[in-house]
Amino acid sequence: MLQLNNICTSFNKGTIDEMELFKQFNFEVKKGEFISIVGSNGSGKTTLLNLICGTMSPDSGSIIFKGDDITKMSEHRRAKFIGRVFQDPKLGTCSNLTVLENFALADNKNKTFGLTGAVSKKRIDYYREKLSHCNMGLEDRLNTPVGSLSGGQRQAIALVISGMTEVDMLILDEHTAALDPKSSETIMEITDKLVKENDMTAVMVTHNLRFATQYGNRLVMMHNGEAIMDKKAEEKEQTKVEDILHLFNEISIECGN
Amino acid sequence: MSFLGSLEVFIETGLIFSIIAMGYYVSYHILDFPDLTVEGTFLTGAVVFGLLSSHNVNSWIALLVSFVLGCAFGAVTGVLNVRLKIRPLLCGILVSTSLITINLIATSAGMTGDFTGQSSSSISYGRTVKTLHDVFFGELIPSRVKGVSVRDLIIFLVVAIVCKLLLDFYFKTKNGLLLRAAGNNGQFVKMLGVDPGKSKITGLAIGNGYAAIAGALYSHVSGNVNQSMGIGMIVIGLASLIIGLSLLKNVKFMKPTTKVIIGAIIYQACLTVAQKLGVPSAYNKLIMAVIFTIALVVSSKAKNKGGSSNVAVK
Repeated sequence: MLQLNNICTSFNKGTIDEMELFKQFNFEVKKGEFISIVGSNGSGKTTLLNLICGTMSPDSGSIIFKGDDITKMSEHRRAKFIGRVFQDPKLGTCSNLTVLENFALADNKNKTFGLTGAVSKKRIDYYREKLSHCNMGLEDRLNTPVGSLSGGQRQAIALVISGMTEVDMLILDEHTAALDPKSSETIMEITDKLVKENDMTAVMVTHNLRFATQYGNRLVMMHNGEAIMDKKAEEKEQTKVEDILHLFNEISIECGN
Repeated sequence: MSFLGSLEVFIETGLIFSIIAMGYYVSYHILDFPDLTVEGTFLTGAVVFGLLSSHNVNSWIALLVSFVLGCAFGAVTGVLNVRLKIRPLLCGILVSTSLITINLIATSAGMTGDFTGQSSSSISYGRTVKTLHDVFFGELIPSRVKGVSVRDLIIFLVVAIVCKLLLDFYFKTKNGLLLRAAGNNGQFVKMLGVDPGKSKITGLAIGNGYAAIAGALYSHVSGNVNQSMGIGMIVIGLASLIIGLSLLKNVKFMKPTTKVIIGAIIYQACLTVAQKLGVPSAYNKLIMAVIFTIALVVSSKAKNKGGSSNVAVK
């Protein structure tokens, strides 16, 4: 479904701090995969997501999505088929709009934003139904400004919203990292349900090794711009938190930490 | 001047300037764009209205054309910022500086056909020029009641309310909701598959279109257009906006646009009081800035006492 071919990216180009992260990096995501990506800071996880979403473009190499070259496509155009949930719950929703207005906007994704009424009363039951799956009581708070909800609630809304229109791929950028343990557990459950029910392809970056092993059907560990571990299907099923932790420690020793 | 007379004056000017303030509600309050183009587009509105009216064009149509041209120049500011990535303040400075020339040449060429801009820099409405008083519903309103010229008052009230209702309507549409989202969270708009830059350009077009309408109405009151009319309009517009939104912050049933209109009238009332106290008119702009400063400080104090979101001081 998605191929990154011979990607090179560097930061601070032309200065003494120049750092080459990806050197001829190749990565492929197949339809129906739910990939968990782990790795230490600076290993290239977020850069990988940014390349997929178009937040940054590679110095060289190409990004192919369903056979089309999207290397030069802007972020908002890619958003038509790639959904994204961020680490910061503030980014996935609009704080000064109500829950209902957030849904109304998301409901109109990939259509024209013209001069017709934004909020359709007919759709309210549908939004309620979507929200009721979160078990957070959000279905009764449609007229609350999103800004007055908790981080967990906002993230739940961001998730539901990103899965509402048919995106081909869902990008989860450490989307549970800013939440308390209980909320992140709930958000992960909602995520899993969303991905399974809609048969989505998803790429999730996480620092939570348990989530990485428990959810998804492929596990990738990044280090210095390379995928040093890539376990799929059954092989992934057998991978335990200890195995990843062990590999993590080896890397750290290698780096001299 | 009698009490009724001064009441009439500040409500009248308040209504005119409330239209700039409503424009700033879109560009400054919602999109957080400090738009300096307004001084230029205010005058553009006046020039266009003056030229068309004095060439016997129906003045309501002239008002509409002023609005459209104001929108166009506002959109230029937006394009400079969004497409060419120039900083907001600089975009406003660039366009309003260009407008100094454009307004002058338009005036000169429109009055005497001289494109060098040397022959005429002002337009005055003689007795023969028909303005908003004389066409459409203007004629139906009695010109004076108890010595107060209600005709202007009613005309401005109608224009301000139409502007307010259009804005209220706009914010209920998909495009309007998208604009509010763009001001709050550009990333969210991107995730909807839309370029938030488009909303920014739209917002600046609305803001400057409204400023142009205000300019047209202002020239209608003063009976002439001169090239320095736009000076001070940024302060008036922003002060009206911030006074309205912060004073009436806890009034839940009122739409922000209504608060802005009331804010504009309060601001003009304060200026009138200052004049009544005997401050010479040369001090006007200084007083305007001082009252604005007080409003800013008061609104930030109110925030520290546990208010929710603040409107001006960051």
